[in-house]
Amino acid sequence: MKKLLIPTYLLFAIVLLASCRKELERINKNPNEPTTVQPDYLLSNGIKANVDTYWGPDAAMDGTLLYVQYWSKIQYTDADRYIAGATGTQTVWSNFYAQGIEDFTALAQLGDSLHNPNYKAIAVIMRSWIFQQLTDLYGDIPYKQAGQISQYLTPVYDSQKDVYTGLLAELKQAATSLTAGSNGIGGDILLGGNILRWKQFANGLRLRIALRIADREFATAKAVFDDVAAGGAAALLPKDTVVKLNYLASPNQNPVGRNRETRNDYRISKSIVDKLKALNDPRLPIYATMPKDTNVIIGVTNGLPSDSAARLGFTKTSDAGTVFTATTAPAILFSYAEQQFILAEAAQRNLIAGSAPALYNQAVTASFVQYGIPEASAVTYLTRSGVAYDATNFKKSIGEQKWLALFGQGIEAFTEWRRLDYPQLKAAYAGALGGNIPMRFKYPSSEQSLNGTNYKAAVARQGADLLTTKLWFDKF
Amino acid sequence: MKYVQRLLGLLPALLWLQQSFAQEIRVSGVVTSRSDAQRVPGAVIRIKGTAHGTQADADGKYVINANATDTLQVSFIGFQTALVPVGNNRVINIALESADSKLQEVVVTALGISREKKSLGYAVQELKSKDIAEARETNLVNALSGKIAGVQVTSSQGSLGSSRIVIRGETSIAGNNQPLFILDGIPVDNSQLGVGTGRDFANAISDVNPEDIASISVLKGPNAAALYGSRASNGVILIKTKTGKEVKGGLGVTVNSNATFDRVLILPDFQNVYGQGAGGQFSYKDGKGGGLNDGTDESWGPKMDGRLIPQFFSNGEAVPFVPHPNNVKDFYETGYTLNNGLAVGGSSEKIDYRFSYNNTKQVGILPNTGISRNTFTASNTFRIAPRLTLSTYANYIRSSADNLPGVDGRRGNSVTLQFIWFGRQVDVSKLRDYKNPDGTDYNWNHSYYSNPYWIQYENTVGQLRNRFFGNARLSYQILDWLTANLRIGTDYYQDRRKYKIAYYTNGTPFGSYTEDAYAVSETNGEFTLNAKKQLSRDFNLDVLVGGNIRNNRFEQNYQQAPKLAVKDVYTLNNSRDPLLSTSYFSRQRVYSSFGSAQLAFRNYAFLNITARNDWSSTLPVENNSYFYPSVNGSLVLSDALNIRSKALTLLKIRGGWAQVGKDTDPYQLINTYPFNQPFGPNPLLTVSDKFLAKDLKPEITSSTEVGLEAGFIDNRIRFDFTWYQSNSRNQILLADVSPTTGYLKKLMNAGEISNKGIEVMLGGTPVSTRSGFRWDVNVNYARNVSKVIELDKEGFLNNYVLGSTGNMQVLASKGQRYGALYGAAYQRDAQNRIIVNADGTPAIDPNKKILGYYTPKWTGGIYNTFTFKGISLGFLIDTKQGGSIYSGTNYTGNYTGVLATTLPGRDEEHGGLPYYRNGQQNIQLPSHTATAPNGAEVHHDGIIFDGYTADGKKNDVILGAEDYYKAVYNSSLNESAIYDASFIKLREIKLGYTLPKTLTDRWKLQSVNIALVARNLGYLQKHVPNIDPETAFNTGNGQGLETLQIPTTRSIGINLNVSF
Repeated sequence: MKKLLIPTYLLFAIVLLASCRKELERINKNPNEPTTVQPDYLLSNGIKANVDTYWGPDAAMDGTLLYVQYWSKIQYTDADRYIAGATGTQTVWSNFYAQGIEDFTALAQLGDSLHNPNYKAIAVIMRSWIFQQLTDLYGDIPYKQAGQISQYLTPVYDSQKDVYTGLLAELKQAATSLTAGSNGIGGDILLGGNILRWKQFANGLRLRIALRIADREFATAKAVFDDVAAGGAAALLPKDTVVKLNYLASPNQNPVGRNRETRNDYRISKSIVDKLKALNDPRLPIYATMPKDTNVIIGVTNGLPSDSAARLGFTKTSDAGTVFTATTAPAILFSYAEQQFILAEAAQRNLIAGSAPALYNQAVTASFVQYGIPEASAVTYLTRSGVAYDATNFKKSIGEQKWLALFGQGIEAFTEWRRLDYPQLKAAYAGALGGNIPMRFKYPSSEQSLNGTNYKAAVARQGADLLTTKLWFDKF
Repeated sequence: MKYVQRLLGLLPALLWLQQSFAQEIRVSGVVTSRSDAQRVPGAVIRIKGTAHGTQADADGKYVINANATDTLQVSFIGFQTALVPVGNNRVINIALESADSKLQEVVVTALGISREKKSLGYAVQELKSKDIAEARETNLVNALSGKIAGVQVTSSQGSLGSSRIVIRGETSIAGNNQPLFILDGIPVDNSQLGVGTGRDFANAISDVNPEDIASISVLKGPNAAALYGSRASNGVILIKTKTGKEVKGGLGVTVNSNATFDRVLILPDFQNVYGQGAGGQFSYKDGKGGGLNDGTDESWGPKMDGRLIPQFFSNGEAVPFVPHPNNVKDFYETGYTLNNGLAVGGSSEKIDYRFSYNNTKQVGILPNTGISRNTFTASNTFRIAPRLTLSTYANYIRSSADNLPGVDGRRGNSVTLQFIWFGRQVDVSKLRDYKNPDGTDYNWNHSYYSNPYWIQYENTVGQLRNRFFGNARLSYQILDWLTANLRIGTDYYQDRRKYKIAYYTNGTPFGSYTEDAYAVSETNGEFTLNAKKQLSRDFNLDVLVGGNIRNNRFEQNYQQAPKLAVKDVYTLNNSRDPLLSTSYFSRQRVYSSFGSAQLAFRNYAFLNITARNDWSSTLPVENNSYFYPSVNGSLVLSDALNIRSKALTLLKIRGGWAQVGKDTDPYQLINTYPFNQPFGPNPLLTVSDKFLAKDLKPEITSSTEVGLEAGFIDNRIRFDFTWYQSNSRNQILLADVSPTTGYLKKLMNAGEISNKGIEVMLGGTPVSTRSGFRWDVNVNYARNVSKVIELDKEGFLNNYVLGSTGNMQVLASKGQRYGALYGAAYQRDAQNRIIVNADGTPAIDPNKKILGYYTPKWTGGIYNTFTFKGISLGFLIDTKQGGSIYSGTNYTGNYTGVLATTLPGRDEEHGGLPYYRNGQQNIQLPSHTATAPNGAEVHHDGIIFDGYTADGKKNDVILGAEDYYKAVYNSSLNESAIYDASFIKLREIKLGYTLPKTLTDRWKLQSVNIALVARNLGYLQKHVPNIDPETAFNTGNGQGLETLQIPTTRSIGINLNVSF
């Protein structure tokens, strides 16, 4: 026994020393998740995750849809009174950056390493679309240093001007590099791999941004319109096309649909119902549902105190229409209608050649068609006073009709309302901002602890981190 | 690697040290205690008048070479020294008389080595079986509370659930700060699995049955624990189990029976004046907005003065609207724990054996909650050959629960959320029949909640845990002074949970069903070689070298049917939507080699050295080997200077320095792409939110401590003082980073945190009379000062987020104490006065502030024991001072108007001011009887917030009470819900009686002991209203955030122990 034990010990030690290192490395190989990624899976994920955020409870339902008075609340009215919860702005920020910017940055790199410029271009288009949502909501945001953790642990905030101009350059490059016919892509749940459509979407975003900055940087905007115009008709979305994500059955349902499965907190706003009624607009029964107990569509005033909101009755007021609240309802990113509104305003402001009233009429008609209303109804509608294009107050005509056409697209509508200052909205009834309507989202409070120095610099440049601070693009 | 070679090199030197004493005869024997016939391991046997001596082994056996003319001098702590002439005896068995002294304790130290306490250069504290078993804590960790200096226990909410233990403050910024649990030399798991699932599952060590424990040693800090490596940097809790050796005579049977009853200790103090509703109005129709404010769940409704209002139970009829002051209290039941155990043990020449069975049935204070546990243990020692001993220990535990209480204030499974919104007029007894004939729930509100009984009876979480742990140890005495030990141990459990959410539950109309299964295992193989050698008359050497292989495995399988197809059938097949499934598997291996040496000089000066090298699979190959040493020493001055007297019985100084390295979790090196649920036919892969680190290094904690021990007046006064300082650097942090980096978290090797502190223990026996009356008092005090010195090397990070709820974060903030509570504060002017907005509400500072720290400044306890002829009475008072808590119960309850603190200003009687409304403006009236212009309604619930406008004027804008309380207490303003968490608690009272021997002898019993135990009796001091400041929601580091806790309990129990 004595002789046996000491060699055992020695053997033990020797085995231990010799075998350990390689064995240890092998043990630490993660069996749970892949260490490489396919571009199609990443693309599907990036589209789904970010459209969810864009259309979801934090950016849209409890934020922009209320601010722009598409929706209102009948329960938990704090959000509708501009008392923003802590988590909403954090979720939007975290999701768009950590899921959106990062996934599409990785996809762009994959496009390079796989020598597939179409993947790269689509990644850049989607990333630009996300950055545009972010700067529309927050103003100055980390852009150039964002999504590069190895180099920048605390990314610097860029001015909104730099973000928009940077995006214009990126989108131009992406649109140019897209080539149909070769370098097929998979996993494109937004546009089904239609490269031409991606090019048109990219150009649409360029026009959207160009118009956004036209009050500030007219020359830059003009150059973009000129450049897109040079591409001819094929550069733009054809008639009645919509860039949208078609949601599927649960668990891949529309975020609004998911909300309506269990909650009953929202109603259509009285502001838009009143406007649609005033114009005898045929979109009213599509945008709103009929309440159970009445035969009249009734909107709810924005920002009521909880008790008075609840007193209105769930069965006596209208929710948004099923086109928006159904499980498989689509989320709209861009539409032919919006494109024509952009062109109408561009024509009015001499950014392009063309007839502003004609383009305006096309835009309104496109909105009707988008919601299944025959073009013929638009013809009579467009002659009504308050609808017919008024070149002397184009902001009112375009502002109001664009607002009606963008129903459901909270972020874009909120941004265009800030820029055009039409329709004229009254602040929430019991709003917490002293009679003002929010002009932006507040930065999430975690930025103070995690990126404090750059946060402070941004706030110093842009103005106090308040809901009421106007952003750079919003000159008037 | 080099280190092992060095250790191996030591071996021949040790062999060479063996000497022979040919002229002498060889004497052997067993040292026992006369009072209870137990063997005395570690007893010192010397030849009187020389320094030549030896120590009894673990079984009390000794061998010594002596001349026939010599006298053996046998001494041991706690016993009177015995003198036995050698004569011609070859076998001398010695029975020692016990000395009534606690001075010369033997304590179990690292690797199970028994050491005289005086030889140690660090602080160790021990609890004996009686202290643990009689305290009758169902979670073992709670039994340590208040009894050991520097140990902080944050106990469970309710009577089930997890408890967190931290020794000497938090040393790791991000990692686990709880100590390592070692049972009979083998690590046992204390994980809390399933954190964040809305249930507070008990931490795994609560499986251990207190009845099986012989003693618990607490090794504080790295100095004591260096030999255990990585996981010991937060200290070690060493548990020694009972063996058959403790049984007197051939066969012993012990029966233990215990019953404990739990009642709610603290509930919020509710108001009973105003009922459910808003703006003073309420009328029930459908509970979801169909009536007048009947969707509103707050209590800002009408006065409960018996006015007639339709209510949820009245079918539209107007019935008296009256308060139900105990509507929350009445929901809670009396919980109880029944514990019955049987142990059979015995010992003979060849074998010691002990078998025990224990059954615990615990019923919680929430209806339909509870857990039952069956424990089987077998502990055997076989003396196979004179020098060969085999010891085995096996423990099988089966815990099963049909339903555990829900936490975190989740609507579907927790009632505490509902109760802080509960309409004050709601009669809870009317809710007991919770189901309507059509299967839907019957409730006071249908906007937000399901019936609370529905939640308890329908939305259940079951748990079944099968656990085995055990070890086998083969010990061979190669030479008189050289012993080899081989030990294999394993801890394996399967833990399966079933979460049911019923059809029609509010928020989940289709219900759901989830199965979550874990398999966790750890196996250790360890070999040690121990040499004990008298080097010369003055020097004794004790050397140990060894190696260990540790393997950990973890497996989780989670499957959810997110919407049930058919109601009331809970299987994964019953699903409307595709199943949500995840599985996770991990492995980890650590090789270690270690050694320790103790050099003793004349039994009063001791030097201890330890060293360990680990090779961990979780670190990159280049960095996966790490070495860490420790050194400590002690000097018994009273012996060395020969100044021992009746007045000064002991004076000892000690000190040491130690390092402990620490690895990380598996798979933290290479970035991966997680799966998301497919979008139709499209699989989804995303970039992980965590950015990992290829070049990770081990974390190193260095620690220094010095101490002083003294005993005075025949040891009637005992004093122990420790100062320590520890510094952890290269910490492995999974730090929150700005999402703008593209990631939410980044793993990095950064961070340095320092802890400094003192621990004082003072023991005394103020009274000890001849008649047998004795009063002992033990006081302990510990103060720890932690400081976060650095987060990342580059200095980008100023804060590490430990935990958060809403806006409120718990931070490790650079330059600050650990555990800063960081949140939205009142905006204040230069004179520190709160600024008020134009609308009369307090302004919130756009910059968040540190509002407090959850870590206490100091902790302490006083334990008094009175004994007289078999009767003992003990009580424990303990305290934590100087920490803060953010209370979700308080801010929510003030917001919803249910708390009594929302009464001031609500009407004329409660000091409200008169005013009328003019549009959105409130105009104050001179008196309550004044009339308002244009016949406007006069309100009497006006309150003016005590603050100043931005331009320095005293605020005069009047707010209605509902607006006032909602403006001050809400999730956007955290400062109003920060409270001082300090408390003094009457933790435990124990009354025990041991039947006199004359009586038990007559009944042919060995002993009979009855004890009455009361725990958590109440607070002698507490600053935070409505909640218990001492509550854990999980065992993580994000403490100090109270979110709708289940009330803690007060319990009273009786314990009967019979041995025959």
